[in-house]
Amino acid sequence: MTARLVFDVAAGLAILFAAVMVVHRHPVKSVLALVVSFFALSVAYVMLSAPLIAALQVIVYAGAILVLFLFVLMLLNVPEEVRQKSGRPIHHTLSALAIVVFAAVLLGALRAHGATNAAPSTSPLTGEVAPVARLLFSEHLLSFEALSILLLAALVGAFALARREGRT
Amino acid sequence: MTLPLWLVPALPLAGFFLCLFFGRRLGKAFVSAVGVGSVGLATVAAATRLIPYFSGDEGPLVETLAPWIRAGNFSVDLSLRLDPLSALMVSFVTFVGFLIHVYSVGYMKHDETDAGYARYFAYLNLFLFAMLVLVLANNFLLMFVGWEGVGLCSYLLIGYYYEREYAAAAGRKAFVVNRIGDFGFLLGMFGLFSLFGTLDFDSVFATAAADPNRYAPGLTLVCVLLFLGAMGKSAQFPLHVWLPDAMAGPTPVSALIHAATMVTAGVYMVTRCNVLFRLAPEAMGAIAILGAFTAIFAAVIAIAQNDIKKVLAYSTLSQLGYMFLACGVGAWVAGMFHVVTHAFFKACLFLGSGAVIHALGGEQDVRRMGGLARKLPVTYRTFLIATLALAGIPPLAGFFSKDAILAEVFAAHRQLLFAIGLVTAGLTAFYMYRLVSLTFGGEFRGSPEKAAHVHEAPRSMTVPLVVLAFLSAVGGFIGLPAVFGERASWIAGFLAPVLAPVRFPGAEGAHHLPHSTEWLLMGISVTVALLGLLVAWKWYAKDGGRTPALIAARFPALYALVSDRFRVDEFYDAVIVRPFVWLARVLWKVVDVLIIDGVLNAGAFVVELVGDSLRFLQTGNVRNYALTFLLGIVALLLFVMGGAP
Amino acid sequence: MTANGIPLGDVLLASGALFALGLAGALMRRNAISIFLAIELMMNSANLAILGYASTLQSVEGQIVVFFVIAIAAAEAAVGLAIFVAMFRHTETIDVNRINLLKW
Repeated sequence: MTARLVFDVAAGLAILFAAVMVVHRHPVKSVLALVVSFFALSVAYVMLSAPLIAALQVIVYAGAILVLFLFVLMLLNVPEEVRQKSGRPIHHTLSALAIVVFAAVLLGALRAHGATNAAPSTSPLTGEVAPVARLLFSEHLLSFEALSILLLAALVGAFALARREGRT
Repeated sequence: MTLPLWLVPALPLAGFFLCLFFGRRLGKAFVSAVGVGSVGLATVAAATRLIPYFSGDEGPLVETLAPWIRAGNFSVDLSLRLDPLSALMVSFVTFVGFLIHVYSVGYMKHDETDAGYARYFAYLNLFLFAMLVLVLANNFLLMFVGWEGVGLCSYLLIGYYYEREYAAAAGRKAFVVNRIGDFGFLLGMFGLFSLFGTLDFDSVFATAAADPNRYAPGLTLVCVLLFLGAMGKSAQFPLHVWLPDAMAGPTPVSALIHAATMVTAGVYMVTRCNVLFRLAPEAMGAIAILGAFTAIFAAVIAIAQNDIKKVLAYSTLSQLGYMFLACGVGAWVAGMFHVVTHAFFKACLFLGSGAVIHALGGEQDVRRMGGLARKLPVTYRTFLIATLALAGIPPLAGFFSKDAILAEVFAAHRQLLFAIGLVTAGLTAFYMYRLVSLTFGGEFRGSPEKAAHVHEAPRSMTVPLVVLAFLSAVGGFIGLPAVFGERASWIAGFLAPVLAPVRFPGAEGAHHLPHSTEWLLMGISVTVALLGLLVAWKWYAKDGGRTPALIAARFPALYALVSDRFRVDEFYDAVIVRPFVWLARVLWKVVDVLIIDGVLNAGAFVVELVGDSLRFLQTGNVRNYALTFLLGIVALLLFVMGGAP
Repeated sequence: MTANGIPLGDVLLASGALFALGLAGALMRRNAISIFLAIELMMNSANLAILGYASTLQSVEGQIVVFFVIAIAAAEAAVGLAIFVAMFRHTETIDVNRINLLKW
């Protein structure tokens, strides 16, 4: 019961701050709102017996990725978005319509299939890190290594893309 | 050692390639040597096979070179045939061809460039190759290859002076009219294959002869179609129009192709298929009538022509009519006999006219000639001998062959055709002596410069003239009429194996006339010929042409009609050529440009239109693209979800 | 029902709402980086859904999947931002309305 309450509150906060992020015109404030949202999500993850992921969410997502966003925002000195009469009403109405329909469909679908009668897997969820680690380094070792190569590639790519021309 | 038969056509073919590829670079001497030499060697090679054949008693010799076509139950081989008929043809084709090649050296040497000279001899050699293939072929398809080949070479050589519009048009006309005939030949071949399942001569003729009643009905149509081919190739009315225009080519070409060899291919083909024609009496009747009509039609036109070569061209048409008249009444031997003698004297006449034209620097109108007898003695004498032979004066060759034809026509009880033939003989003598008189007699009517330049032709030209004149004189003795004895006609005996007996009403062999009737007929034909000569002599040599001028003035419309060749060309132009040209223009301007191009352009236009409309989706704005994704996903979701409740 | 008594429906509802918000942000914002942020939000909503199912199905694999997703999102963010930086150097703007070289 308590878990549910905590989860609901955390999820609600996440949604709230996500909405703030979407609406707010100032990009930095927008990023900060998302940070809070991610923190809330992290709490939700804990409630779902995934403490490792929660930790990673805070460390990697909120702490690294969004900080990177902030850096770039400040580097590019992105201004506040000016609210203006949009010259593309068609786009906006159509988007709104599509989003509403999509959301309705999605929620309806998720709701309908919410109850599952799948059998529990062999490794029951205990909220501990060790089983995750064990699985990661045995069955999914290849993917893990591939992931590290991906990160290397991303590193090199980002470096190559962003450097100034003519300089090594 | 017997030389293979295929060597005979192969030698001129080799000459063709050598002259074509190396002639321009290696000069006229090379071309002369190769062009004339190849034909000379071919004549010798042929002689080595022919002489034993003529004197021996062998049957037909078939030399199969290779299998050619094998398609289901249709099979044709490359095989050559030496039998009395083809031997006869090969003998004069090679020999007369050789003489004309020699003559061409003198005729063409000075006026042509090295390239033109090489081209001439290349085409002439190619022609001889095709002609030899035609006569030596052992099946219809190979014969047709030669048939088409001679048509092609005729086109190439008529249009030799291709820079002259008139010559190029004449070449085209010859080819197109020939094609009409060839179409008939082709259909005839299809008919033969559907009837007999083979195109091999021996098979077809033997099958037809063995079961005449079964094949006779289908053969009428087939023979008419085959004769259509002969009409095109041998210029019978109404497909005769190309031959007079063909005189645009060099004179030796006219002599070789349009007098001695190609135009007789039709007669050869009909004679070769005599077994088939004898099973189609209606076809033969049509041939006889058409031949007789062509003979007199052309003879009438000839009396009013003023171009020396045109007179000879119409004379050729007329004599070809005689040959077909002979075939039509079943006088196959007489027809072939006339082919041989005609080759001699007509070639001599054409080459002689060439000598005259050469001497006068290109003049061909007889009204500007005259008095050449003293200046061109050899030409004059050979021309005269050949004229008398053509007119049918004994004992020259033409008399025997023409008399043989007339006798057979009479014996077959075709009195009307006999009368037509007789009248034509008179006309022939008349217009030929008119030609001699205007060309060689009286005083020279041309310009003084020409008069100063007149000179006898060189040896290379006069020697063939003499040889041909000699042959025109004595050539007749191979076919002495029956009055001199039952076996007097060597040629009849020689060709007898080709005329296999066929048991079918109306297909009997030559008719027999009592000797007294034969003598009577001979006398009549000689009298008619002499009459023609006499009238011509009186009107032209003695009176200087006053009487004919009076007649022409009295009947101007008639004279115009005759001298305009009865306006057959104009008729064809109005009825056939113009509508075709109009149709072609319509097909071009309307169907091709408007409709086909229009459809294509419209298609392109529609594509462009669609592209222009769809272009607006490419806004370059990423958000729009994202929206499009989303819309697609929504639609997909709805579609998938719509299935499940 | 998850292991801790949280109904799956709630989790999925939250996930769906977050996704819809992210979608709205991606389509509505003019700022390229804001669009990117919204995309990150969408990825997180997916993570939430996966973890909800993992918890319900008592499976650890779900956490492993999310682990990978987070790592890949990091890589993607790095490269994407590098692209933005490069783009900005060329065009002096990150307003997506103005970056329309592919326009016909």
